[in-house]
Amino acid sequence: MKTDEQIVSDVSVNRDEHAVSVQGVTFTYHGADRPALRAVSLVQNAGEMIGVMGASGAGKSTFAKCLNRIIPEFEDGDFHGAISIAGESIEHLRVCDLAPKVGMVFQDFESQLFSTNVAHEVAFAMEQVGMERAEMDRRIMPALEAVGLRGFAHRDPMSLSGGEKQRLAIASVLALRPSVIVLDEPTTDLDPEGRAEVFELIRKLRGQGLSLIVIEHESEELRAADRIVVLREGEVSADGPPSEVFARTELLTACGVRPPGLGRALELLGIDAQPKSVEQAYEVIVRAYPSVAGTTYDSIARSRVPEAQKAADNAIAGPAFIEIENLSYSYAGGPRVLDSIDLKVEAGEFLAIVGQNGSGKTTLAKHVVGLLHPATGRIMIDGKDPTQMRPAETAREVAYVFQNPDHQIFAATVEDEVAFGPRNFGLDADEIRRRCDEALEAVGLQNERQSDPFLLSKGERQRLAVASVLVLRPRMLILDEPTTGLDHREQLRMMGLVRDLNRSGIAIVIITHTPWLVAEYARRVVLMRKGAKIFDGGVREFFMQEELLRSSSFRAPEITELSRRFGTLALTTDEFVGWVKGRS
Amino acid sequence: MPIYLYIDRGTFVHRLHPTVKVFSLFIMFWSVYWVDNPVALLPIGLVMLWIAQLTDSWPNFYRLRWLFAILVFTTTIAWMVFYRRGAVLVNIPVFHVSRLSLVFGLGRGIKLAELLAASVLFLSTTKIEEFTYGLQRMRVPYRVSFAISLSFRLVPLFIDSAVTIVDAQRLRGYDFNQGGPLERVRRYVPVVIPVFMGALRKANNMAMALEARGFGYIHEPTTFIEYPVTAADIAAFAFLIGLGTLYFMLYWTGIGRIGPLK
Repeated sequence: MKTDEQIVSDVSVNRDEHAVSVQGVTFTYHGADRPALRAVSLVQNAGEMIGVMGASGAGKSTFAKCLNRIIPEFEDGDFHGAISIAGESIEHLRVCDLAPKVGMVFQDFESQLFSTNVAHEVAFAMEQVGMERAEMDRRIMPALEAVGLRGFAHRDPMSLSGGEKQRLAIASVLALRPSVIVLDEPTTDLDPEGRAEVFELIRKLRGQGLSLIVIEHESEELRAADRIVVLREGEVSADGPPSEVFARTELLTACGVRPPGLGRALELLGIDAQPKSVEQAYEVIVRAYPSVAGTTYDSIARSRVPEAQKAADNAIAGPAFIEIENLSYSYAGGPRVLDSIDLKVEAGEFLAIVGQNGSGKTTLAKHVVGLLHPATGRIMIDGKDPTQMRPAETAREVAYVFQNPDHQIFAATVEDEVAFGPRNFGLDADEIRRRCDEALEAVGLQNERQSDPFLLSKGERQRLAVASVLVLRPRMLILDEPTTGLDHREQLRMMGLVRDLNRSGIAIVIITHTPWLVAEYARRVVLMRKGAKIFDGGVREFFMQEELLRSSSFRAPEITELSRRFGTLALTTDEFVGWVKGRS
Repeated sequence: MPIYLYIDRGTFVHRLHPTVKVFSLFIMFWSVYWVDNPVALLPIGLVMLWIAQLTDSWPNFYRLRWLFAILVFTTTIAWMVFYRRGAVLVNIPVFHVSRLSLVFGLGRGIKLAELLAASVLFLSTTKIEEFTYGLQRMRVPYRVSFAISLSFRLVPLFIDSAVTIVDAQRLRGYDFNQGGPLERVRRYVPVVIPVFMGALRKANNMAMALEARGFGYIHEPTTFIEYPVTAADIAAFAFLIGLGTLYFMLYWTGIGRIGPLK
């Protein structure tokens, strides 16, 4: 049996060869007023890893789809330019003809698994190209071993976690031994553990000399790349090694890319360096600011949170609004998904609920809005029992924004979509108009009133979903993964909106996997694991629990990790820089 | 909660050749089609219950218990409105409650329930790869057989998505239960549109992913899994031929009709 090292040895890696050559590619979608890609030229050497970044709509996915001719085969539009893979032009090839040359892994992992058995899933692509059964047999196990799924051969892919499903998708691509693998935002829908699994695998494949093109929003994850290509409005804005590209923080910000927190901190401290890790950042800061050295890693246990920060963490804005006592729940015939939960949420609070997929976060939220009723225990909303209220009545108290905004959008115009809720409550036309104006203004969509909701960007649709429940003037807003699939600019806009709503007195509960959102916006964190609440406290206190974070596969933001190396705990880059300058 | 019906067990039914499984579904449908009489429908119903017990498929029947009950109940009631034969037993406006209409309605209800049960048994014991293979062996082109079997995989996903959408609209104060029957159907527009849009998006994503994995590279792909024909397959095939013939004879001789109950 082959080992995972051997699987890629079959892929001939000659670094002098071009794995991919893209020359002057321009593509305009049918009906679009400007090209999605403009004269993009790029050469990837064999064995190179390229990270592609940019805002939503910058052309990243369009670029990826050109590499195996999904564009122009699947999308109507105007295509110019030339692409060759391993020296061969792909101009007259079909998408399926390119399967053995270009492996493609998509963001939506549910849509790329077709079988009821892991081994068969890996075999699927080999069957399609007519491979003999004996050869398939030889390739399946090495591919599964390469992605760490040994022992999973007989499992149903649907029973795997998100990270495992994505690794399986990569295994099925690896089995064909293509000369280049393209991963289009492969971790967007994954929890932190799934993300870590996939990026660990990408690093391993990169180490084995595979040619990789990885599209990703998070710059920290692409530090190991050979090159970073930043796209902006379909054009290449930057192309170079991570140390060069990530140092251009203004350009990255202008392109809607979040600069790595460590690099930004060093820039603000006047240090010219692009650290590849927290450890490196620590060393260069100590060299530049010797006076901050001396605190040790262990001293974190003794470090004291400044009183002012502690007071802000523990601020309670008002009386208890939601009271949950001893709540347990199981879906029919299944194990317990909520186990004896006690929780109070105060009016005006900003709470983040975190935990791995399947830990019970969404089930808990569905209880609060009355979509599920407790098997045992009880919930009170402002002293009222939601089991005695219809979900529509609960909506006036607590509104819930689903993770996918497309789960509710149906109207022909943005205004009609927002007016849908108030119409259901029988409000008069003037009141509906007034509320729609207010809600659209709050989410910044006042100029899109007559637009077709389906033509808005993902970030705009997400804000529309918020407006369509905000219009009911709830006292609490629960947002399930409000930033998933958004670029950095859209994330900031979305979270700015959420913070403004909180400041206006609406209690906010966000369910999220994103550490920096928790650090920068929330005031309190609830951590869930296997249906149980295992932490409930201030954000700073949460990020101090190193062992707890590790065992829950939740990471602190890098800047927080760096500050811990100095024996303090900063939640944001500005806070850390302020601390260093204060000490020196 | 699992959204698919396949139950992974090693029973002899699970191990049957895919062609025999597809053929068994056809024979079940064939047999149920020819007879109307509830008594004549009983034996094949018992065969299905026996297979459900053998294959450990009860969890799927339990999940769909309300659908079975609604099918039998509403069909029986509906035929008491439209099937106006036999001496009236009880005078109820609109309804024609006679022994004949009751038996006919019940027969139709059981028929539908048995068609559903046959499908549940098939999906409880057949993987989509086997379904594709079985159809291919019955001379259905690969693209068509793959599309048919894949659609069975997609339906539960769409149902799952529809449930989420219903929840999202209810939370915006929408009441799906207002008005008469037509109004209630019309009120599902806020669900149908997002489901439809989501289905289009998913189908598009899936089509891209399929071709990116080489779907269409050659006309008849090779198969990774071997499906040898065993003695159990031959025995099952013979049994199914017998069952299909028996039910056709029930029709042919008139035993399977409602008539004798007059």
